[in-house]
Amino acid sequence: MQIIQYVIGRFFVALATMFGVSIVIFAAVRMVPGGFEQVVLGPLATPESRAVIIAKFALDRSIIEQYGHWLVAAVHGDFGISMVTQTSVTQELIRRAPATIQLALMSLVMALSVGLPLGVISGLTNGRPWQRSLGRLLGALGASIPDFVLGSLFLFVFTVWSLGPTIGGYVPFFEDPWTNLRAMVLPAVTLAVFGIALILRTARDAVKSVMIEGYIAFAVACGERPSRIVRYHVLRNAAIPIITVTATYLGYLLGGAIIVEVLFSVPGVGLYTYNGLMNRDYAIVQASVLVAAAVFIAINMVADTIYTLLDPRISAQQRAS
Amino acid sequence: MSELVQVQDLRISYETARGIVYALDGVDLTVYSSQILGIVGESGSGKSTLGMAIGRLLPSNSLRTSGDLFVNGKSIFDIGDEQIRLLRQTSLGFVFQNPMSTLDPTMRVGRQIRLVLNGPASDDSIYELLRRVGLPDVKRVARSYPHQLSGGMAQRVVVAMAISRQPSLLIADEPTASLDASVREQILRLLLSVREETGVAIILLSHELGLVAKYCDTIAVMYGGRLIEAGSNVSVFGRPGHPYTKALLEAAPGSERPGDWLEAIPGVPPVLQSSAHGCVFEPRCKFAQETCRTVRPALRPIENRLVACHRAEEVLRAEPSTAATHGRIA
Repeated sequence: MQIIQYVIGRFFVALATMFGVSIVIFAAVRMVPGGFEQVVLGPLATPESRAVIIAKFALDRSIIEQYGHWLVAAVHGDFGISMVTQTSVTQELIRRAPATIQLALMSLVMALSVGLPLGVISGLTNGRPWQRSLGRLLGALGASIPDFVLGSLFLFVFTVWSLGPTIGGYVPFFEDPWTNLRAMVLPAVTLAVFGIALILRTARDAVKSVMIEGYIAFAVACGERPSRIVRYHVLRNAAIPIITVTATYLGYLLGGAIIVEVLFSVPGVGLYTYNGLMNRDYAIVQASVLVAAAVFIAINMVADTIYTLLDPRISAQQRAS
Repeated sequence: MSELVQVQDLRISYETARGIVYALDGVDLTVYSSQILGIVGESGSGKSTLGMAIGRLLPSNSLRTSGDLFVNGKSIFDIGDEQIRLLRQTSLGFVFQNPMSTLDPTMRVGRQIRLVLNGPASDDSIYELLRRVGLPDVKRVARSYPHQLSGGMAQRVVVAMAISRQPSLLIADEPTASLDASVREQILRLLLSVREETGVAIILLSHELGLVAKYCDTIAVMYGGRLIEAGSNVSVFGRPGHPYTKALLEAAPGSERPGDWLEAIPGVPPVLQSSAHGCVFEPRCKFAQETCRTVRPALRPIENRLVACHRAEEVLRAEPSTAATHGRIA
């Protein structure tokens, strides 16, 4: 029951956050220099043609009026039409979502399956000094190398030599799984490297800080098996920070990894956002940022709910406050 | 009475960022079955290191430079990891200072007990265990998370877990230091009643002289990583043979008469960066003389106790400076 109350409470907070995000993004898009009419018509257009465009998209109305109009439609799931392609933004987002979701899941699975065990193991064992230094170096490198650098590197290597994975050439997974995977593996790895480093470091630090807790010493003193101590005491207590970064990472991935999608021509939400931004196609940018924010908030809500299940003290604190 | 634990000339040091610190500097001690031994000492005296060493629970930066420690006649430093685990599981029980950090905050009490029992355990056996440590409403306690219990209740749960596998030795390291004064005596009485019931030997590590004097039959006093006096409660606390024991008793509140001063011990306890040549207490000792600086006093039997002091005879004969004559402490 408490968990349901908690989720409902969080839902209203999320709604308020979304409202704030929508205002910020609506204003921010319009602050980008060069309006839609300038970008789409170019510098040599006549004032008349500009006026036509402005009138057509109601860009002459006050920003508050525009916002109100847009918000009412957005609440009903209608994000308007792309001013460039004249297609429904909602339809287009739905059409492009599978590529982004697939990319996100592939990266997440890679990041978790490599980062989590390595992080837990290095948190449990001290290792030799050189092993610790090497681990730290790789962790720092993985977390700090920008995805456009790593992506460009892959781009170079895999276009010069044909090694299997392809650059671009995306087809939907259910049409041709093999071709799809060949096109998706490089962007997924590019995104996973950061995730591996992030999850590895967090897991290592979390496990290390749990290992010095009194209840671990007590479990050892009681003669519990090491494997059981890890399974029942260490993992559960170390889980919260790991879930936090994993949720943040997944939110980042699902929001559309813009640079990686552009680099590898993955026709997902990120590429769509990029094109919208380049064309000052306000409807697209507003919609995709809002959707990304919603996904991010939803994932964090799920993560917060998991915390209360993992650590009873968290729900007790919430009841007290 | 059979010998349960034998400590022989044990030296343990820690590698710290500021260099090597000697925690145990040649300790000899024997613990017999069913004994209740109080080890008294200030923080830094090495008593916790000694207690943890019995279960080989020392941190990884610790180093044994000499000596040995036998539990049930077997050296704990010679056996493998799996054997030491089985020894902890079957023969030793530990109770730590803060019950709130000793229990896993994310797990219900009943489940934690079940894990420690290591094997199929019925709900009833868990309730029975909780009842044995004097907890009321055992079903509710078993369903509770540690943060839902009071400190005293949580420490009872820890005791229940420590005795759940019928150990022959219970090591309680400051088991009451984090508890309310009113609960302290209850926990110690609980430990005592457990001993009555099962015959388990207890080592009580504490800096609280009053509690140790009240509950322990044998006393060992530690200072600067060494055992400086050991013997029966009556002989050690009744008529101390080491200047440090004597000074401790005179500094302890509880035995003074109105208007009396408590006699503080001048100086601070040592952090041992090296093994001292002479007596570690010499810089703070009223009885110090030249030999104390240069010759380490051996632990020797004198008047029903063991004392490590060159001038123990004089200490025993000396007039108590304050209230110690007016009655035992506590």
